[in-house]
Amino acid sequence: MRYDDNVSAAADGPILRCEAITKAFGGVNAVNGATFEVPRNKITALIGPNGAGKTTVVNLLSGALKIDTGKVHLGNIDITNMERYKIARLGLMRTFQLSRELSGLTVLENLLVAPKVQAGESLFNIFFRPRLLQREEKQNLERALEILQTYGLYALRDNRASDLSGGQKKLLEISRGVMASPSLFLLDEPMAGVNPALIEKIGGYILDMKAQGVTVLMIEHNLNVVERICDNVIVLAEGRTLATGKLSELRENKEVVTAYLGEIINAGPSH
Amino acid sequence: MSQFWLAFGFGLVTASVLAIAAVGLSLQFGITNYINFAYGDFMALGAYLAYFFNAEALHLNVWVSMIIGAVLMGAAAVLLNRFLLSPFARRFSKSFYVLIVTFGLSLIMLNLVYSIWGPNNRTYNMKLEIYKKIGPFLLNKDQIIVMIISVVLMLAIHLMLKTTRLGKSMRAMSDNTTLAMTSGIDTKMITTITWFLSGSLAGIAGTVLGISESQITPASGELFLFVIFAAVIVGGVGSIYGAMAGAVLIGLSTEISAAYINPAYKLDVAFVILILTLLFRPNGVFARPGKA
Amino acid sequence: MAQFWFYVFTLVFFLFDYFILAMGLNIQFGETGILNFAYIGFVALGAYVTGAVSLPSSVGTAQQYIFGFNMPFPFSLLAGGVAAMLMAVVVAFITLRRLRTDYLAMVLISLSLVLYDVINNYVRLFNGADGLYNVPQPMAGLFHLTSNAFVIFFACVTGVVALIMWFVMSRVTRSPLGRTFRAIRDDPDVASALGKGVFRYQLTSMLIGSFYAGIGGGLIIQFGGSFNPSAWLPGETFVVFAVIIVGGVGNNVGLLVGALLVETLLIHLPAFLPDIPGHPGLIEYIDAMVIGVALMVMLWVRPQGLVPERVRRFQVPTDELIHRDGHSVEAPVIDTMSATPTPSAMAAHEGEDA
Repeated sequence: MRYDDNVSAAADGPILRCEAITKAFGGVNAVNGATFEVPRNKITALIGPNGAGKTTVVNLLSGALKIDTGKVHLGNIDITNMERYKIARLGLMRTFQLSRELSGLTVLENLLVAPKVQAGESLFNIFFRPRLLQREEKQNLERALEILQTYGLYALRDNRASDLSGGQKKLLEISRGVMASPSLFLLDEPMAGVNPALIEKIGGYILDMKAQGVTVLMIEHNLNVVERICDNVIVLAEGRTLATGKLSELRENKEVVTAYLGEIINAGPSH
Repeated sequence: MSQFWLAFGFGLVTASVLAIAAVGLSLQFGITNYINFAYGDFMALGAYLAYFFNAEALHLNVWVSMIIGAVLMGAAAVLLNRFLLSPFARRFSKSFYVLIVTFGLSLIMLNLVYSIWGPNNRTYNMKLEIYKKIGPFLLNKDQIIVMIISVVLMLAIHLMLKTTRLGKSMRAMSDNTTLAMTSGIDTKMITTITWFLSGSLAGIAGTVLGISESQITPASGELFLFVIFAAVIVGGVGSIYGAMAGAVLIGLSTEISAAYINPAYKLDVAFVILILTLLFRPNGVFARPGKA
Repeated sequence: MAQFWFYVFTLVFFLFDYFILAMGLNIQFGETGILNFAYIGFVALGAYVTGAVSLPSSVGTAQQYIFGFNMPFPFSLLAGGVAAMLMAVVVAFITLRRLRTDYLAMVLISLSLVLYDVINNYVRLFNGADGLYNVPQPMAGLFHLTSNAFVIFFACVTGVVALIMWFVMSRVTRSPLGRTFRAIRDDPDVASALGKGVFRYQLTSMLIGSFYAGIGGGLIIQFGGSFNPSAWLPGETFVVFAVIIVGGVGNNVGLLVGALLVETLLIHLPAFLPDIPGHPGLIEYIDAMVIGVALMVMLWVRPQGLVPERVRRFQVPTDELIHRDGHSVEAPVIDTMSATPTPSAMAAHEGEDA
């Protein structure tokens, strides 16, 4: 099996199937049998109250944490507890809740490093196939500049990533993921702590990704955003899947409303 | 068989010294979350300070000198943390920097000891005790005192951690510094006290190491440092009780193996145990899930 | 007069040699973030192996050592480099896959102490505490060099070797591989989330760096003809760290400056000073303390070093620039206040770390 094959090319059916996964931290069950599917080429929201285990689920799917029990399939490949770089090479990318830029690299380098497998990462090629390297680097450079332009970071391309503002770092992290051509992109609260204008922008970027064939699974608290851009919603509570479906249907679901939506409506959109 | 029990007795002495040192290192690691690579030189300086009061000035009893040395090392540790390590740890988020600073501190302290006391071995001014047969063991009075000191210190630390407010705050900080701070613990004070304890334990460990080996050299602490690392890693980094258990395991196995193979490779036995632990139980032999 | 040139070229030799050593540690620590506190152990292994392969068979000599192949110069040096790489493979497989930075540093410093202990005690390996001596001077016989002329000659040879290794190293650090190394240095989690097999790259970096360490060590024994445990006390690793931190982590020119200041001026120049009467060795001790203090001051005042890492700017073809600036994009205006994470996001992040 080659790990750089994108799974989007594989047959239809859900891109990700997650069956009864559990994870405990020192006796506390953070994820307790979450089961759901992520439909292909759709934007799916993962919502739930604080402590529902959303970030833990993202960490389990992307291989950052080990799954205790349960199975995860990406396309038809079993990725349960596969090493995380291999999961990434299968086309599953993620962002982090608090942006994690590669601080010593420039904005442009942050993108250039992203393509999963590069000929220029082999010592042999560096010394014996310089032409191949140049060609590859030129292609990547063109694509990176294009993406930076789309994301409004072009002017900052030669700045160190550590010099960016909080919102710019969010954009950088998302554009870096896009550069890696994901087939499934997990976004961990892409709009947390950014101003309304930027929320609009990021929403637009996510819709663009979908248009380009990227499946998105995003953790999001802002139900206005979920309503407008997400096709599907998965509700997580106490580490379990409470419900899945369209947001409009879920608003009718009493269990969901008591567990989560009620709290949101009372507490306001910032939570 | 008697050879085994003789070695076992020496192993208990080594384990006693090691436990004091390993607990001192672990206490500080739990609070600040970085390893102090100068710890071995803290031990050496403590041992030489005790030597100063015991053999060069005042001519005090060796145990009294040990206590003075320990208090001075505790104070030195507090000052070093306050004016050197803590500023670096706060300024740089990557742990690289502060680790390199402790590494540099180790070089400075080692050479300080060399420039004051020179490279030659020194011995404490104390009566040579004869070895007596105690059960299956052959030990002298000083070695027994070392063991008693170690057991008393371990019990005191255990009681402090479990029953006092200070100990509970220390454990809370070791689990989660931010949470401890928000729940009203004076983290700065706890850090200072911990450095004092860590420095004092290093001072005591250095002196009792010198007593049990009947000599001190400037580099003895540095060589011993890696035996401490072995004990700490085998016990699970950051765990106080793990450090105690690791000390017993490493202390006994180095001395017992020394009885059967060339004692020159005593240190290497500790290293082999360290490597085996890393290969098969990377979180430590006694690790519980959760705190990795 | 001959004495003067002898001193100068001895310093020149150490300048180039520490430049090589600094490049090796820099790719491990400065580029990839591996805190290799055992670096001097790799240097020593390179020196011993180079010495032992270039010496004749030990049978009938006063020394005990393995190998003894009478190997001629550039090959003996390569053998030292390869030996250090082999040790790096073993070390990497045991430690790199499991350990976070400070545990790794603990294990590596232990390793260097144990290596020291073994080589000191196991005399049959490299002659124990006496170390190897009478190692043949490479090519001295060929050109009929006097010992003073050899110093000048070999300092130049080392300069050439350093130049080649500089060229190779800058090819590596400027390549996509170097970029991936730096990504791993900045955040290994992000790198692996981007599909980079972190271990493979760390191993590659360890191997390259260890080869440099081995070559640097090999040159030392070829230059001086002898090498013993007093030359590689674990504290020596700190000197190489001082070279790269003073000069500038991640910048090859900085490394040369660091080697000049630390190794040449602070270490080898004081060695020519006369001893303080009645205090043998005191100058060395004070010197070591000065280096320690200098490094701390440097880290505090100028952590990027005297010659900082370059920001790698890319040459975008001009026509492309014009085309793009046609609809140039402003940096988004972002309210930094609202960009700070909310307390709930912070709390949830703590959970992520658990």
